[in-house]
Amino acid sequence: MKILVCIKQVPDMESRFRPNGEKTWYDEGDLAFRMNEYDEYAVEQAVQLKEQLGGEPEITVLSIGPDRTVEAIKKALAMGGDRAVHIRDDRYYQKDPWQIASMIASYAKGEGFDLIFTGMQSQDRGSAQVGVIVAELLGIACATTLVGFSYDGGTITAKRELEGGIKGVAKLKLPALVTCQLGLNTPRYPTLPNIMKAKKKEIASLTPAELSGEAELTATAAIYPPAKKGGGLVLEGEIGIQVDRLMGILKEKTAVLR
Amino acid sequence: MFLELTEEQKLIQETARNFARSVLEPLAPKLDREGDHPAFLANLKKLAELGFMGLNVQGEYGGSEAGVIAFSVAMTEIARACASTAVTVSVNNMVCEVIQAIGSQEQKEKYIPRICSGAYAAGSFALTETGAGSDPAGMTTTAVLDGDSWVLNGSKIFITSAPYAGVFVVWAVTDKEAPKGKGISCFLVEQGTPGLVIGKQEEKTGQHASATNELVFDNCRIPKDALMGKLNDGFRIAVAELGGGRIGIGSLALGIGLAAMDYATRYSNERVQFGQKISAFQATQWKIADSYTELEAARLLLMSAAFRKESGRPFAKEASMAKLFATEAANRACYNAVQMLGGYGYTADFPVERYARDVRITSIYEGTSEIQRVIIAREVLKNFS
Repeated sequence: MKILVCIKQVPDMESRFRPNGEKTWYDEGDLAFRMNEYDEYAVEQAVQLKEQLGGEPEITVLSIGPDRTVEAIKKALAMGGDRAVHIRDDRYYQKDPWQIASMIASYAKGEGFDLIFTGMQSQDRGSAQVGVIVAELLGIACATTLVGFSYDGGTITAKRELEGGIKGVAKLKLPALVTCQLGLNTPRYPTLPNIMKAKKKEIASLTPAELSGEAELTATAAIYPPAKKGGGLVLEGEIGIQVDRLMGILKEKTAVLR
Repeated sequence: MFLELTEEQKLIQETARNFARSVLEPLAPKLDREGDHPAFLANLKKLAELGFMGLNVQGEYGGSEAGVIAFSVAMTEIARACASTAVTVSVNNMVCEVIQAIGSQEQKEKYIPRICSGAYAAGSFALTETGAGSDPAGMTTTAVLDGDSWVLNGSKIFITSAPYAGVFVVWAVTDKEAPKGKGISCFLVEQGTPGLVIGKQEEKTGQHASATNELVFDNCRIPKDALMGKLNDGFRIAVAELGGGRIGIGSLALGIGLAAMDYATRYSNERVQFGQKISAFQATQWKIADSYTELEAARLLLMSAAFRKESGRPFAKEASMAKLFATEAANRACYNAVQMLGGYGYTADFPVERYARDVRITSIYEGTSEIQRVIIAREVLKNFS
């Protein structure tokens, strides 16, 4: 079995974000970067599947981004990836999800992956589109927002998180792509010896020019901090309606009333 | 000059930070107040499984081969969360390194993997005696060869991890007639050896979870091949290995100092007096500026000493400078942090009083600040004579 895990390196979410000079992305100057949280679930699930199958599957890790991205790639390799592909692209942030997905699909097409894991979304852009579009471009089955995963004899049973706290179960035959949500698993800490050994694993380097990526469909017009609001959301009106609205918000936005 | 961690060092730092925050930090207040020995040992085991007990140890003995800089940054991250855990990790690394440096092939293969894997919760470094602290060459514990075994008699104090250490590196006098410091040898003594008695546990100001005990040798008989390194060469070994330990303790102190100042600085952005956040007062800002400047200077000194050791160059002077400055800067930072929290800083409802107690020993153990100055001055004066 050939497994592909797509990961992205994103800023530490505790960082202070400022728009960059072009006002189309955030200023990366002072930020610390780490692996996108949802992608850690993807890597972990891939490694767990490899362990379940006695180490037979080969896990390839793919990431698009500038030189610093190698650190996130090495983490994925230290967690149990076998080899990696780094698509070196300093202008990755100017590309929309369609372009990013088309670059990944262009690489994956010739490789014959049986199973592709991605995060549910990136923590910085948060489009939640890349995984789905890759599946569509490759013409393979896809299930999103996984909170449960099992594999048996060529079939994936995917437990999905739906809106409003409802769960759904989908069965997919390989080849397939799944996107991973918080709660799917607890990503392992890479051990120190494995961090050091990851140095010796292959990281192939590609440029966007070597892949047949598509032209962009959307362009970022502007990025700006939200206007400062005072004191959060204030519910007004008749008390019964206020209670209903509060219940609705707690159900939709939090885990309090699930 | 390239003042940036490598990708591997950054990943080790991140792993240490994530583990410390999610596993060690929540337990630290309880370990300090009432103790939870099983949980403390369980966390040591997890750290061993991740590879933190032999950072600068070769892979063939179960080490991580990550180097001295990685050791320093890992110690700082662990100490930010729990100083007791950090000192145990530091001593374990030091024990592994001394065995790796001078042990026989058999000794290395037998003991280092047990510490690195967590089969032994800890290793201990038994040098200090009641009459031999800053002046270890004044020790009186003796080892006498009797047939096929050495017989140890005497006692040691302030031995970190003694009740749960699997093996002790013990220094003892093997030639009473030799000039001072020339007749001391180094031995490996296993826990449970008849005649090895774990004495009373000290009640300390801080670092409560880390046990500190007296050790008594009462006709303690160990095999002849428990001698480590050359006969009567033990004192030189101890002096050399303490240098590496100093990088560990300096890094540990830096972690406590950062934890204290991070907490106090966040607090100063919330606490309002006279109608404004106390961070708006220059008196607070100067504490923040001074402490972070000193802690950053400490970090650079530690990195420099670690880099020298990792490069195989002499590092005793740099390790002493880093240890001296980092531990004293961290003490000042903790003092400032308590001051910034005012009365709250003196209560157990806030963590800074724990940091202030935990940090105090760092300018004492692994060589006092006074001894560091003696070493630094001696090294400097060598170049002027």
